[in-house]
Amino acid sequence: MPDDIKALLQEIADFSVTNATELENFRLEFISKNGKVQSMFKKMGSIPKEEKAAFGKSMNDLKNAAQSRFEILKAQFDTSSASTKTALDDITLSAPTLPIGSLHPLTQTLEEMKKIFYRLGFTISDGPEIEDDFHNFTALNFPPNHPARDEQDTFFVRKSDDPAVGDLVLRTHTSPVQIRLMEKQKPPIRAIMPGRVYRNEAVSAKSYFLFHQVEALYIDKNVSVADLKETLITFAKLMFGNDVKYRLRPGFFPFTEPSLEMDIWWEANGKGRWLEILGSGMVDPNVLIASGVDPEEYTGFAWGMGVERIAIVRHEIDDIRTFYENDIRFLEQFN
Amino acid sequence: MNLSHNWLQEYIDLDLSIEDLTEKLTLIGLEVEEVEEYGSKLDGVIVGKVLETKQHPNADRLKVCQVDLGTETVQIVCGADNVAAGQKVPVATVGSTLPIKLDDGSLLTLRKAKLRGEESHGMICAADELGLGSDHSGILVLDENLEVGTLISQVFDMYQDTIIEIAITPNRPDATCHLGVARDLSAALNIPLKKPTISKISSIDKAEGYSISIESENCHRYVGKLIKNIKIDESPEWLQNKLKAIGLRPVNNIVDITNYVMYELGQPLHAFDFDNLKTANITVKEFDTEVEFETLDHLKRKCAPGTLFICDGETPVAIAGIMGGLHSEVSDNTTNILLESAYFDPGTIRRTAKLQTLQTDASYRFERGIDPNMQAFAAQRAADLILEICGGEAQDGVLDVHPIKTDSHTLTLRMSYLNRLLGTSFDVAQTIQILDGLELKLTSQTEETVTYEIPTFRPDLEREVDLIEEVGRLYDYNKIESPNHGIYVSTEPLTEWEILVSHIREIGVQLACREIYTNSLISEKEALNFVSKEQVIETLNPLNKDMSMMRPTLAHGFLKAASYNFNRSADDIRFFEVGNVFELNEQFSYHEGIKEETHVLFGLSGLKQIEHWSSKPVAYSIFDLKALAETFFTKLGILNSVQVELIDETTLQYSFKKIVLGSISQVSNSLKKVYDLDQDAFVAEFSINAIQKVQAKRPAFKFTPVPKFPVFEFDFAVVVSQDVDAGSLMKVIKSKAGNTLKNIDIFDVYEGESIGEGSKSIAFRLNFIDSNKTLNVKDVEPIIQRVLKTLEKQFSAKLRS
Repeated sequence: MPDDIKALLQEIADFSVTNATELENFRLEFISKNGKVQSMFKKMGSIPKEEKAAFGKSMNDLKNAAQSRFEILKAQFDTSSASTKTALDDITLSAPTLPIGSLHPLTQTLEEMKKIFYRLGFTISDGPEIEDDFHNFTALNFPPNHPARDEQDTFFVRKSDDPAVGDLVLRTHTSPVQIRLMEKQKPPIRAIMPGRVYRNEAVSAKSYFLFHQVEALYIDKNVSVADLKETLITFAKLMFGNDVKYRLRPGFFPFTEPSLEMDIWWEANGKGRWLEILGSGMVDPNVLIASGVDPEEYTGFAWGMGVERIAIVRHEIDDIRTFYENDIRFLEQFN
Repeated sequence: MNLSHNWLQEYIDLDLSIEDLTEKLTLIGLEVEEVEEYGSKLDGVIVGKVLETKQHPNADRLKVCQVDLGTETVQIVCGADNVAAGQKVPVATVGSTLPIKLDDGSLLTLRKAKLRGEESHGMICAADELGLGSDHSGILVLDENLEVGTLISQVFDMYQDTIIEIAITPNRPDATCHLGVARDLSAALNIPLKKPTISKISSIDKAEGYSISIESENCHRYVGKLIKNIKIDESPEWLQNKLKAIGLRPVNNIVDITNYVMYELGQPLHAFDFDNLKTANITVKEFDTEVEFETLDHLKRKCAPGTLFICDGETPVAIAGIMGGLHSEVSDNTTNILLESAYFDPGTIRRTAKLQTLQTDASYRFERGIDPNMQAFAAQRAADLILEICGGEAQDGVLDVHPIKTDSHTLTLRMSYLNRLLGTSFDVAQTIQILDGLELKLTSQTEETVTYEIPTFRPDLEREVDLIEEVGRLYDYNKIESPNHGIYVSTEPLTEWEILVSHIREIGVQLACREIYTNSLISEKEALNFVSKEQVIETLNPLNKDMSMMRPTLAHGFLKAASYNFNRSADDIRFFEVGNVFELNEQFSYHEGIKEETHVLFGLSGLKQIEHWSSKPVAYSIFDLKALAETFFTKLGILNSVQVELIDETTLQYSFKKIVLGSISQVSNSLKKVYDLDQDAFVAEFSINAIQKVQAKRPAFKFTPVPKFPVFEFDFAVVVSQDVDAGSLMKVIKSKAGNTLKNIDIFDVYEGESIGEGSKSIAFRLNFIDSNKTLNVKDVEPIIQRVLKTLEKQFSAKLRS
């Protein structure tokens, strides 16, 4: 490489640029039409023929070196590009919102319950919301004059005087699914049955004419109250935390004997109280017989709880109707 | 039911705190709902002496008093006219609590106060302020011989009690009285029960002066007792206090005694004014016709045929087991009474109480089933009290008509079953010990079994398993030990249905929709917006007519929710719901004639993009919903199996072979009006039951290798008549293009003069791919020719050059 080209290369490398003005000076000095690099090209004519190729290559290197240094410096010091920035290049502007999908809080609570039951090895079963009298009442050992059979509590879809045609009701609990399951599957049975149920009750902040229940059923040989108790406690701990305080007390349901209810100690706003969270019991022998299961061979437990009730407790919701209004300002709190 | 702590203690010596007692009651199945103090000890209320009174400088009606309390003299501002120097008066000192309820339910606690600038250290009380009667005319002036500083509770006999409200489950009629609750506590706590005693009873068949005849099998027993020459008066204080404490209003000595015995023994009693019974032939019967009858609450009630009455000859004098008649009510002038103590069939009483919507203390007990052998005892118990309190002379014995007798039965309890069901290891001795106190009569025992005669006051103990419950609840379920084995040894697989429904909910969230829960009961008018009257399922006894029909579609709920949110300033509605819909249909699901299916709905309305610096506001269109629906099918893995059909200008139906999955549509203007919607709304609704059928037919998912060769893209446009829809064109292209066609899309639609009136141009982009080679124009050209030929034949489509 000729010395003058070498010298110019060095000069390019040493040229100090610390701001936009000096950058422009660099451009004028070396890159512009009248710059030193172009001027060097003019020497080509005076180069002997045999050296022309080598000179050309050196000149090319020189030109590339000048250009590439300029690009680097330009990226550092050129402010002219900043002046072309528009108002929309401001990334602090607000972003458009993306729509968000979410599960309804009742689904979220139900999903949590399901996950707990899945861990305990339960499956899921289901049945219709319009149910016949046999599955909703008779098979569940409701004596003919039980209060739950009164019209106050049950919505009827069909009433019939013909004994061959049963009444149809909107199911008042998810317990009929127990019967359906036992009719179709031999023990052992281990399933939960979530679903919508209906009660013909006046609407208020505390009560609604429809709500959701989860029923659990476990039938096998030698299932006892001790097993039920253990399962309830496991559920309470997984649902409400390991340190949950609970108690079991006798209750009454026509379809279980003995019947037990579970309370948990619930503290809110500094006040504690016992709160009933579920009803349970050993499946009544009459129910097993009605479903074709021999009570001398099998025993089992069942339990039921309200999804709304648990969601209300956990989220401190003060009006059950909120669940069915579907106000986005409510739903979006449950992302 | 309200329980009086004092009253309970007459039958059992309880030596545990109220907290422990309420806990115990709850744990044996008599759930305590509330505990309330009755009466006040008036701690801190003492006798004071008014030393001087001066007119308050700033208030005409107030006086400033100096009061000697024994240990100090304090200044008290008093508003009573009768306050005067020298009086001995009750003074509530600072810090004491009076039985005066404030708005928040708490009791008034005295504090130091300034009244119109004058300090006041306490309050001089009127009688009512101390809970001593109702006199509020002025302060209570006490006996001048009382010593200053004496506690008021030592001056007056202050009645105090703790009232425990318990919830009684329908299987426990025995616990609807103090004696019954005491019996349960006696069994649970191993404390002996002290039962009330009566003078000798003798049952007689005939009585002088009246007769009883039972003409209905719904009355099992009727016991009468005639008492003459009684004196009606206020009850003695002890009786009034007891009744008031549990929330009953004292009426007169006779009525109060019948109530007292009911709350003691659980047997409802009724007293007739004997002189108002004309024939004195008590007849228990039903009528075949409707009867109008005036009950003692002054209501003229229409009673349905079959209502059980107590009659004086043929004239009704009481609705059996529910309420007496006005005419034969005991009044201040009554001198002779006839006591009734009966057993009525629970179902009969329940039916009548429901029809009359009248639940009384009596009907509450009868409909649960009282002890069928208690009647004579209860009548005699009441008579003893009446003679003691009201004077008079009673007939000898009781007239006892008892056509239907209830015998006690025996139950044998096997230890094997007991322990299998409870998970315990009790032996016979332990079991007997646990059940001791319930008054079950042990008749025999072996090493493995124990047999009891069951008393008639426990109609709930019918079967062996019922006795097991008694063992469990008295032992305390909390004390049953954990099984030392894990019961969950294997897991049940989840059903396909559950997996599908959960998956669909997840997809809803992935599609950025919010899940909603809407009502399944809607009005007839609302239902008829979607289906015909012949299809809709009606409830026979709706809460009101807005909630009388089972929803035939989820669309109603969505439109209502959308409108609700728009009215609350929402602008972007993206909802989904999974729920059951109902229709009268011969293709039934569970019950003949009723089709109940689970549907999923997706609904869009409003702005998909609100006004923003980056974009103008953009409203949702049917294509946003179509994209969503197709993504939904893609996520389910069935998009390629699904056919789309144009039903009308605003509705597309999706199906698989003959199975209709559902449709997407733009909500019509008329329906928008019904729901008060200004924005366009779009609804997709699919049957999950149908989707499940399609998925079942789908071959198992298998991976296909990623193509090694590039896609060949080919664009062309055709000109067709305006009335040809793009869907039909695409269907033909798909069927004719062969299996190298990977994808088809429309990238331009044009209409204008250059095309000609009544025509439009649609530009398609086709992607071809071959898994074995790189395609080129020579491979694709013939395919395009074939497609174009068919399009021309079927739709007179012309290639646009």
